[in-house]
Amino acid sequence: MNHHRHHFVPDFETDDDYVNANTNSSSSNLPRKPIIGEEEDGDLMELLWHNGQVVLQNQRPNTKKQPLSSSAAVKLHNGAPPPPLDHNLFIQEDEMSSWLHYPLRDDDFCSDLFFPAAPPPVPSTVRPPEPSSMRPPAPSPVRPPAPSSVKPAVRNFMNFSRLRGDFTGGNGRGESGPSIAKSTVRESAKVNPSATPASSAAREPDLTRRTDGADSRGAGDLGSKSAVDGGGAYTVGHNRKGKAVVTTERTSENLGASSSVASKSEIEPLETIVDERKRKEREEVGSTECRNEEAKQGRGSSSTKRSRAAEVHNLSERKRRDRINERMKALQELIPCCNKSDKASMLDEAIEYMKSLQLQIQMMSMGCGMMPMMYTGMQQYMPHMAMGMGMGMGVEMGMNRPPPPPPPFMPFPNMLASQRPLPPQTRMGGYPAVQASDPSRVYGPNQQFDPNSSQAQFSGYMDPFQQFRSLYPSQPPQFQNQAASYPSSSRVSSSKESEDHGNQTTS
Amino acid sequence: MSNRRSRQSSSALRISDDQMIDLVSKLCQLLPEIRERRRSDKVSASKVLQETCNYIRKLHREVDNLSDRLSQLLDAVDEDSHEASVIRSLLM
Repeated sequence: MNHHRHHFVPDFETDDDYVNANTNSSSSNLPRKPIIGEEEDGDLMELLWHNGQVVLQNQRPNTKKQPLSSSAAVKLHNGAPPPPLDHNLFIQEDEMSSWLHYPLRDDDFCSDLFFPAAPPPVPSTVRPPEPSSMRPPAPSPVRPPAPSSVKPAVRNFMNFSRLRGDFTGGNGRGESGPSIAKSTVRESAKVNPSATPASSAAREPDLTRRTDGADSRGAGDLGSKSAVDGGGAYTVGHNRKGKAVVTTERTSENLGASSSVASKSEIEPLETIVDERKRKEREEVGSTECRNEEAKQGRGSSSTKRSRAAEVHNLSERKRRDRINERMKALQELIPCCNKSDKASMLDEAIEYMKSLQLQIQMMSMGCGMMPMMYTGMQQYMPHMAMGMGMGMGVEMGMNRPPPPPPPFMPFPNMLASQRPLPPQTRMGGYPAVQASDPSRVYGPNQQFDPNSSQAQFSGYMDPFQQFRSLYPSQPPQFQNQAASYPSSSRVSSSKESEDHGNQTTS
Repeated sequence: MSNRRSRQSSSALRISDDQMIDLVSKLCQLLPEIRERRRSDKVSASKVLQETCNYIRKLHREVDNLSDRLSQLLDAVDEDSHEASVIRSLLM
């Protein structure tokens, strides 16, 4: 098959090259080609279909002009460019890189790269750009370089690069190319290697391009097929890896020049699968990108951009709002007895709650620290503690109204009161009363307790969060009674306070 | 901008910018983290709210811990001692 492919390659090469190649170098092969071509065509057709129906199908629509030329060329040479050849032509010229057709021969490069064991498909005959077949993915724009593939490898390489460029350009339009290229690569070693699927090649790394360029240029050189093969092989490997491996110029040549390389078939199956996938992905990406870009540009960039920007802005704004609402809801859940639906009031409550929590914690921690010392009669410390707490709380709270220096305890209630401009709060309402009552409960036992100021202060501390605490579910059970009775205790404590005071005075 | 939006949005979500700014600034003062890494009005509202929630949860945990400790201490203290009452008051 490879042999056949080789023969065909020249036929499928792009116009000039193709013809030239055919006439010049592949003349000898030509005679063989026609005959084989038919067969190969059949084979090729089959192969193409096998590997990727897409190839053939895509090819057809994409390549309009080329087929004519190629077919013409083919006719020139073979006088019987069978339709399959046209397909090949299509493939080659548009997307299928010539390399596709190039059998994956184990040219010096290729074999090492890809198929160590792959025997050169057509070593004897012109070595079609095996690499082309090997590089299903890349070679897209590879033109039928075969004819000129004989040229120095460098040239082929350059051809590939050119092809690559073509491929890139054609990517937008030639999505089928890559797929075609892939399929061609796999199947059609014989297909003109020069015809590299533009699309696939474009994606491929530089190598592809190079290969393509080489192919196109070298297409005419059947003689350079061998080179192309090597290049093709190179390309294939490159494509497979997706790297722009410019191993050798020759490979590029081979790819470009000798389209139909028997070895291609060998390489194709291996690469086809992976390459196809990659190519398809690339195609999609590329096509999508191309489409998007084109669409954007086509619609009038300014308006489109603006509308899109506006949409984006709205979306982001909406997201931001949603996020904020989420947080507000969470906050609402955290704050006990928050029945406010208004954001502002809810935030106010949150602020107060936070402050009261801070106060509470501070007091409790102090109490914890002091507890061990209670045994030693730390009662006298309580007032001091209250004082410290008052001062500390003032600072902790970050209040903007620094407590007036003199009576340390005094500022606290002032601060608390000033902090709570919200009158309707029950806390506020109960504040004064609690103030009176709390100290009695707390400092009852403290005989030396400095009555009013500290008590008031302490009660100030207690009050805000105690209200919350009663609602807070974490209270230890044993104190539930006390907590529950707290509201009423305020009243009771007042009486107790008087008693305490009385006691204190008496004691 | 935001006013426009808030007007358009439902009343529940309506909140003036000034209000938000005021509240957010208050929260900023309370939240230690934000205070420390103050970035001149670059703190977004959602961030502040999130920090507030976290902080409140943290405070709750603190309160729980302290309550536990105080209750333990209370157990260790005579029921009728001063300390007990102090603790109870604290816990309440």
